[in-house]
Amino acid sequence: MTITTKPITLNINGKKQGPIDVPEGLMMIDFLHEYVHLTGSRLGCGQGVCHACVVIEDEADGSSHETRTCITGAHYFDGKTIRTVEGHATVDDKGEETPSAVQQAFMDHYSFQCGYCTPGFVNAATVFIEGLKRNPIARDELEEAILKAMNNHICRCTGYVRYYEAIRDVVLNTPGLIKETANG
Amino acid sequence: MAKRRILPALSILVILLLVIVAILWWREHRSNDNPVQKVTATDEQIERGRYAARAADCAACHTVEGGGLFAGGFPMETPFGTVHGSNITPSADHGIGRWTAEDFRRGVREGVTPTGRHLYPAMPYNSYHLMSDQDLDDIYAYLMTRPAIDVPTPENSLPFPFNQRFLMIGWNLLFQNTDPLPAVSKGDSELWVRGRYLTDVMGHCAECHTPRGMFGQMNLDKPLEGGTLGRFKAADITPEGLAERGWTPEDLSRFLATGNAPQGSAFSEMHMVVALSTQYLNKNDLKAMTTYLMGDQPPAAKKVAIQPGGEQGRAHYLNLCAGCHGVSGEGKPNVAPAMAGNATIRQPDAVNLIASVLDGLPEQSFPGTGHMQSMPGFAAKMNDQQMAELVNYTRTTWGGLPGDIKPGQIAELRGH
Repeated sequence: MTITTKPITLNINGKKQGPIDVPEGLMMIDFLHEYVHLTGSRLGCGQGVCHACVVIEDEADGSSHETRTCITGAHYFDGKTIRTVEGHATVDDKGEETPSAVQQAFMDHYSFQCGYCTPGFVNAATVFIEGLKRNPIARDELEEAILKAMNNHICRCTGYVRYYEAIRDVVLNTPGLIKETANG
Repeated sequence: MAKRRILPALSILVILLLVIVAILWWREHRSNDNPVQKVTATDEQIERGRYAARAADCAACHTVEGGGLFAGGFPMETPFGTVHGSNITPSADHGIGRWTAEDFRRGVREGVTPTGRHLYPAMPYNSYHLMSDQDLDDIYAYLMTRPAIDVPTPENSLPFPFNQRFLMIGWNLLFQNTDPLPAVSKGDSELWVRGRYLTDVMGHCAECHTPRGMFGQMNLDKPLEGGTLGRFKAADITPEGLAERGWTPEDLSRFLATGNAPQGSAFSEMHMVVALSTQYLNKNDLKAMTTYLMGDQPPAAKKVAIQPGGEQGRAHYLNLCAGCHGVSGEGKPNVAPAMAGNATIRQPDAVNLIASVLDGLPEQSFPGTGHMQSMPGFAAKMNDQQMAELVNYTRTTWGGLPGDIKPGQIAELRGH
């Protein structure tokens, strides 16, 4: 049996990758791990349930959303722009990394123990916060909105509450995510 | 002179009409003051009633998720508006607590309550009309010995004139069945006869699987040829329709018992039917139903050879579907059904296939340990052209069907 390959080109974490010849039907999680050596995304259930493997897909209109890489073929991402967990921290001239606000909040709140689900949570929380930047919500809608945004992500260590509190902190401490009301 | 005569006659006619409407309205709205019924039954009769109530799938409409068993509330969307399943617990004020066994027989068979109120034909009295006295009395005994749950049935949301129940008198004159539904297959064995009763009367399968006319009546010229009630189409389950999509009586029995078969897994309303009704049928009754559905001499299941599909469609399939359904469409047990041999792919009109790909499907549990993961919807990820390519790929590869689905058909279903 011969393996048919096709080239793909995409932008990952702001960097153009490819053209790289990739077998048809190869799942994106394997491409990230084996072809571009980005091993931060986690293969959990392998069937689209746990969401540990999600990456951020950036659209031309400035919107972003999550896509599961364990059930989505690498070729689906041909021509697309994505971010993985490796793409969130900023690096200064000296090579010093500064975590994103979401990553820092997860550490401050001790949100994770084993960390297996964390890349998925970082990406989902980032997508959620970017969504609030485009469409702020009222303060009293926040708790439910966090729940809805994170609901598909499975964590078996900390019981979610620390992730939840960390995300709420980031939202409340970032100007412009909550709608101003008449009462302030 | 003529004018002088016509005017009083017209006035009398109008008054008479108003009186008739008032009486009809009163008849539909008066309260039931009959005594509350105290029913005792043997354990044996209650068990028979439980079995019969499951065979008749009463819970499907008379129970809502999160609500009490038989306390009503299930919203049935119809082309005329939303009708809610009623409370059929022994509640005196909200349920059937004041109904006698005779009242119950009439309600189920004729769609009329003890006070003369007409039920909408969402209550399948046009199928139940031939339910046996024994089954009705057993179901009554079973229901009346359940706990009374005192919750009112939600108001139906039907626009005028459909909210006038007395109009059902006219509907019944036109469409009420007195004869058995037309037989869908040929047979005369004991199993076939029992199966016909279970399918056409108890299971009221025809209510969803038969096309309906403009007044919502079943088109009895096309029994079980497939109907449309909600987002998904109820499939053609005539012997020919089933065999065309690869069903055998054995696989059909397995499907009704477990919700899973090589031809696919039950989803949407049919998943509810398996969960609430057919999984509880004994082996003999399952065999009877499939004997009736496919006939004493069932037609041979049609096999389709796997054909290569279009390149673009194959690329979409590998990118978005193969992770769960397998590169060769072999599926994954308890994750996603196989595409090869799948009966939904083999439905000529592709409505259910397209709707599944657009909307996705929820995670589902099946009797025993059976399970299927949720399927994501791809409405936002694929445009009409891409989805048509994908759908056509599955049709030509595994369906033995032409790849003739146009982007316009996707757009039409996307809008719903």
